[in-house]
Amino acid sequence: MKTRFLFPYWFRYLGIALFLVHVPFVFFKDTNGPEHAQHIADNSLFNSHHLFFMATTLLMAVGLFFIAFAKEKIEDEQISQLRLDSLQWAIYLNYLLLIIGLIFTTDTEHILFLNLMVPLFFFIVRFRWVIFRLNRSLPREG
Amino acid sequence: MKNNIRVERAIKNITQGELADLVSVSRQTINSIESNKYVPSTVLALKIARVFGKSLEEVFMLEEGD
Repeated sequence: MKTRFLFPYWFRYLGIALFLVHVPFVFFKDTNGPEHAQHIADNSLFNSHHLFFMATTLLMAVGLFFIAFAKEKIEDEQISQLRLDSLQWAIYLNYLLLIIGLIFTTDTEHILFLNLMVPLFFFIVRFRWVIFRLNRSLPREG
Repeated sequence: MKNNIRVERAIKNITQGELADLVSVSRQTINSIESNKYVPSTVLALKIARVFGKSLEEVFMLEEGD
């Protein structure tokens, strides 16, 4: 069975690299507190605050996207099934959190951010976990 | 669904890994099928039966509740 719409295997490492690159940027932002407030006053679309937010968020999202949707070394039908399964769980969790967020907060910017992160992140964790469990249940060659 | 893959492998004297290579899936998948944790697609079931030179029903069989 051929699985379409997946990136080649090495995209996983590209994704990890992109994700790791975004981490120091976020720390840099945290140490930049006072300047941060000053940029809020700048209302044009491409002010530096917005550009920074866009760059880091895109790096992270694209990185996670590549990790999530790169092919496995041996991409067979069981892997596709696990992939779909994990995707379903990720969507469930995402909407659960989204609904809870909508009811209990009015902080839409963070809800959006959560919405961006949770499906991909949870998908990756769940997918890796089932593959790990599968490998652990494997007896020494028999 | 039950299957005889483990028995058939023993008769043919091949390992899980070798069978996996012959039907181009991972060894994990063969192992999951053998331990009844995963039901293969029709295509994969036919390929496995062909490796053993048996008909589909001789390798895979329905069980109560299917």
